[in-house]
Amino acid sequence: MLYKVMGRDVFKDFVKSLISNYEFIGPKRKDKAVHDFVPIKDISELDINYKRTTIPPAKKILFPPDEKLVAYEVNEKIKVRPVVESSEKVLFGINAWDINGMNFLDRFFVTDFVDENYLERRKKLIVIGMDSEPTETNFSPSMDSEYAKDGFDLYITELKDRYFIRINTARGDEILKKYSVTENALVKDFKDYNNYMDNYRKKFKLDVNIKDFYDNFELIYDDDEFWEKVAKNCYSCGSCNLACPTCFCFNVKDDIELNLKDGNKTREWDSCMLPEYGLVAGGHNFRPDKENRLKQRYRCKLKTFLDKFGRYACVGCGRCIEVCLAKINIADNINSIKKEVSV
Amino acid sequence: MSKPKVGIFGITGCGGCQLEILNLEDQLLDLVNAVEIVHFTEAITEHSDNYEIALVEGSITTEHDVERIKKIGDIAKIIVAVGSCAVSGGLNCLKNLYGVERAKELVYGDKKDWIDSIEVKPIDEYIRVDYYARGCPPNRLEIVDIIRSLIIGRKPEIPNYPVCVECKRNGNTCVYDIGITCLGPVTRAGCNSRCPSSATGCEGCRGLIDDPNINAQKDLLAENGLTVEDIINQFNLYNACKKVEAKESSK
Ligand code: SF4
Ligand code: SF4
Ligand code: SF4
Repeated sequence: MLYKVMGRDVFKDFVKSLISNYEFIGPKRKDKAVHDFVPIKDISELDINYKRTTIPPAKKILFPPDEKLVAYEVNEKIKVRPVVESSEKVLFGINAWDINGMNFLDRFFVTDFVDENYLERRKKLIVIGMDSEPTETNFSPSMDSEYAKDGFDLYITELKDRYFIRINTARGDEILKKYSVTENALVKDFKDYNNYMDNYRKKFKLDVNIKDFYDNFELIYDDDEFWEKVAKNCYSCGSCNLACPTCFCFNVKDDIELNLKDGNKTREWDSCMLPEYGLVAGGHNFRPDKENRLKQRYRCKLKTFLDKFGRYACVGCGRCIEVCLAKINIADNINSIKKEVSV
Repeated sequence: MSKPKVGIFGITGCGGCQLEILNLEDQLLDLVNAVEIVHFTEAITEHSDNYEIALVEGSITTEHDVERIKKIGDIAKIIVAVGSCAVSGGLNCLKNLYGVERAKELVYGDKKDWIDSIEVKPIDEYIRVDYYARGCPPNRLEIVDIIRSLIIGRKPEIPNYPVCVECKRNGNTCVYDIGITCLGPVTRAGCNSRCPSSATGCEGCRGLIDDPNINAQKDLLAENGLTVEDIINQFNLYNACKKVEAKESSK
């Protein structure tokens, strides 16, 4: 890691140069409720003071909701062609918990099996992080995710009269050198930065008691009464999965054109909360009830990947709480599980 | 492989579903190449009673409709109900809420006895239906998918999940966040979240998913300021022929 500081005017020019030299994706206000990460053509569209975003920016770019994987042509011979759509992009203004969510996806898509499509796009994605205002449902400090340790090229933190920059890759260093003027960070800059972080952490109001949670999930797993209570109002709508920065499930579909010659295999986001997710040939469903499905989702978040990657599959972004019309709240539920199992 | 013969029929409806098929534009030529269309109420004058697949738009609202649909049912090997009216009775079912006699009187006054009108029903109350292309209007890409699937002999992929899924895939703002109510959480997707994508609440035109959590939806609408009557009206707009009842425990 290298550390630099940059003045306010320089920052603005730096962003302008990135916008004119790269395919630039950044936060823009969508409506009164949310911001959305979209291609930005002019600095006036960019609004880095965002709070709520619907779909996590990195997931949207690296693992799009609908993606062609293979194109084929059926004539005398069958021709099959893999499709990898990727281009160099700057993802600007992504916050720490969403970077941590992306780090989880990075690991998922190269462990056990290497997903070429994901990897190609990831290599070409220049990640420039910046803090954003946490929403009321955010509990990322409890999940050790309010600070990004890695996964970015540059992380820019706004101090009172200047910007503190953490440079994490040679690519980030080159971009910074090419498009801006910076100075080495001095002791005073570090002090101000630490001060800033202390204050920033105070903005997260929701506290989740996940400390030493580890194996305790097993104790609640068979408590049907608990899961029935929690899942009572669940619509099985999948919104909690689809809006989650670490949920990666997908379904592959076969689309053949009406000419019966050309076709594609495409993948689209799937969700373990949908009844048909657990349905297999012959009509058996492994998880026919919403209670089972919710329990499975929580186990994936709080146990499965703890065993596999040594970390929870949740960064505490709070999106699943915001989007759930049944008010099913993972933060409250982790707290209740902790309470139940510690008696 | 000989081309399957297809008849496209309009019973009582606005004709908009047939128009959706005509609006296929890019794919219309491929469709005409893939199947032989022997009847198309809204588009061609030729007619033949020799068809294997029937696409039927509209609900059954007259004795004459009953005769027609039964004949189609006798001839076709595969029947696809196209659009809300054929699938669930659709908007036409609002007539049933008044009762047939009262509705006739309201519309035709003292000429009401001239009118052939019966209680509105979806077509599957009279004949077997194999596939449903839901929606008002239906999604033309779904109609194509059903036809294509029939040709290649696989089951069409018709979603059994709520509209919320498509909203998320499309990155929409949930309309509840901007103060609008929506039936999306209990309504079958497949429309590509058409209404919420333009900041309008879902009105349930594709009917309910197989296992809707109606109690939760009622709570949600009530919390958003709707009265019991408003809620029943919301559910009934497209679903009046298929009564919605809250199950005690919604599993
Ligand atoms: S968002 Fe809420 S209602 Fe929808 S599936 Fe998830 S927990 Fe259930
Ligand atoms: S489980 Fe919920 S809080 Fe955790 S990362 Fe996913 S959306 Fe965010
Ligand atoms: S707008 Fe309607 S369909 Fe979309 S997420 Fe919200 S409730 Fe679901």
